[in-house]
Amino acid sequence: MSAKLRITDLSVSYGDFAAVRDVSLEVLEGQITALVGPSGCGKSSFLHSLNRLTDMIPGCRVTGEVKLPDGTDLCGPYLDVLSLRKKVGMVFQKPNPFPHSIRKNFEIPLREHGISKREVPEIMERNLREVGLWGEVSDRLHKSALNLSGGQQQRLCIARALALEPEIILFDEPCSALDPLASGVVEDHIAALREKVTVVIVTHNLAQARRIADRVAVFWLQDGVGTIVEVGKAKDLFASPAHPDAALYLSGMRG
Amino acid sequence: MCRSRIDRIAEVFLGAAAILAGGIVLLIVGFLFYGASPVLQSGEFPLLFTDREWQPTSDREPQFGIVPMLVGSVLVTVLAGSIAVPLGVAGAVFHQFYLPSLFKKWNRRALELLAGVPSVVFGFWGLMVLVPAINRMHPPGQSLLAAGLVLGLMILPMVALTSQVALDSVPREHLQAAAGLGIGRASTILRIALPCARPGIGAGAVLAIARAVGETMAVVMVCGNIANLPGSIFDPIRPITSTIVLEMGYATESHKALLYTAGLILVLVIAALAGWLAFHRNPEAVAK
Repeated sequence: MSAKLRITDLSVSYGDFAAVRDVSLEVLEGQITALVGPSGCGKSSFLHSLNRLTDMIPGCRVTGEVKLPDGTDLCGPYLDVLSLRKKVGMVFQKPNPFPHSIRKNFEIPLREHGISKREVPEIMERNLREVGLWGEVSDRLHKSALNLSGGQQQRLCIARALALEPEIILFDEPCSALDPLASGVVEDHIAALREKVTVVIVTHNLAQARRIADRVAVFWLQDGVGTIVEVGKAKDLFASPAHPDAALYLSGMRG
Repeated sequence: MCRSRIDRIAEVFLGAAAILAGGIVLLIVGFLFYGASPVLQSGEFPLLFTDREWQPTSDREPQFGIVPMLVGSVLVTVLAGSIAVPLGVAGAVFHQFYLPSLFKKWNRRALELLAGVPSVVFGFWGLMVLVPAINRMHPPGQSLLAAGLVLGLMILPMVALTSQVALDSVPREHLQAAAGLGIGRASTILRIALPCARPGIGAGAVLAIARAVGETMAVVMVCGNIANLPGSIFDPIRPITSTIVLEMGYATESHKALLYTAGLILVLVIAALAGWLAFHRNPEAVAK
């Protein structure tokens, strides 16, 4: 299986504070890669740097290389960030639908990327079906998305990200703000994306990583800076982790 | 002293303060009604809207028409609003989304300073600079245009500052969501930030406009003070506020009652604006 993202020596710092140092990782195409590890060890900073959301944070500096198969460097200075974000989508921890109608939640991003208004309903329906939301909302597409439950909102956000047909979707703890039932539904839909898109997911839920991930990368603090201490197939890693801290963490003894 | 005692004293004191603040409004409105009562009772009130001219002290045939002045007040307010609201909102958008943070503080300071300039200074500047400039374009200079411009500049910082606050309180998640979907800055502003901030921007604009309706000093200095319906923006006008301030010195009896009535009408207009604002301040409205 080929690498969809080849990350080399990526470091993220906020002013004087180094959050992530020298992370190298290959994200394989069509797989689900889970990033696990304790809080504050740079997983989210790392994830946000992959589609340049770190640009929004004043004082944030990212160095290193993140290459797509075609050789584009996502950290490069001349990159068209907006079309990068169409290619590399993002779903956040807290569901964040726009405070508009469900329909507008699709229309705004789709039209931004040059899709005509006529095509919106069809794309919206296809993607809402994809996340199992169509049946629940098809009669209130013109109503505010904020009236949906938390789990429904998160599935809407996934559908909205999918509507742009990204090659990669980044999930930043997508289930941690949801109740266990809604969390399970969202998780199933993320698992169903395997093979269709490449998924990178940050999660605090080790059981979740074990259930859905093909590969797992363990983040850990070294000298106060986050880095990857172990990467491998989910099965192997959970069965016999090599790194001592990772071993304790993955077995639930620590962290 | 025990806690509950402090609490009781605080309750009495705070309650008195609250009642006083609310009571003063009632007192003033009651006072206006009382002062205006000769007009309201004598049946002269409709004349305010049917008479063509304002000649309250004429010996032969007094005329009580306040319509030209009411129109003057409305026109100058509309002009001021249509200058200040677009400029203020545009400035706030620039401040929030384009201005490097290094300059943000200074831009804010400048606006706060502008908001603090006394209205008499605005009026003086208008009289010395603006009026002669307009006079060169189209005499006489003292005009609806001059008053609208001065008033517009006066309320501009209010609109800009409240719009900034409204834009600043747009939840970060929405902006992050937009960024995550590759939505550009222009669309983020137009389709997400401005709709979210609309209630706050609207409230600020209505408050600023309410202030413009009642503003007197700057206006009286540059508007020309002729109580006719203006034919163009270069014609002089005489808003209700100017009329009150110019005539209160020598008004007696029925004339005074007329001025009270004019003041009452002004207060009711502003109250109507405030009421409309309260009615439309519905957070759900954004979702539509």
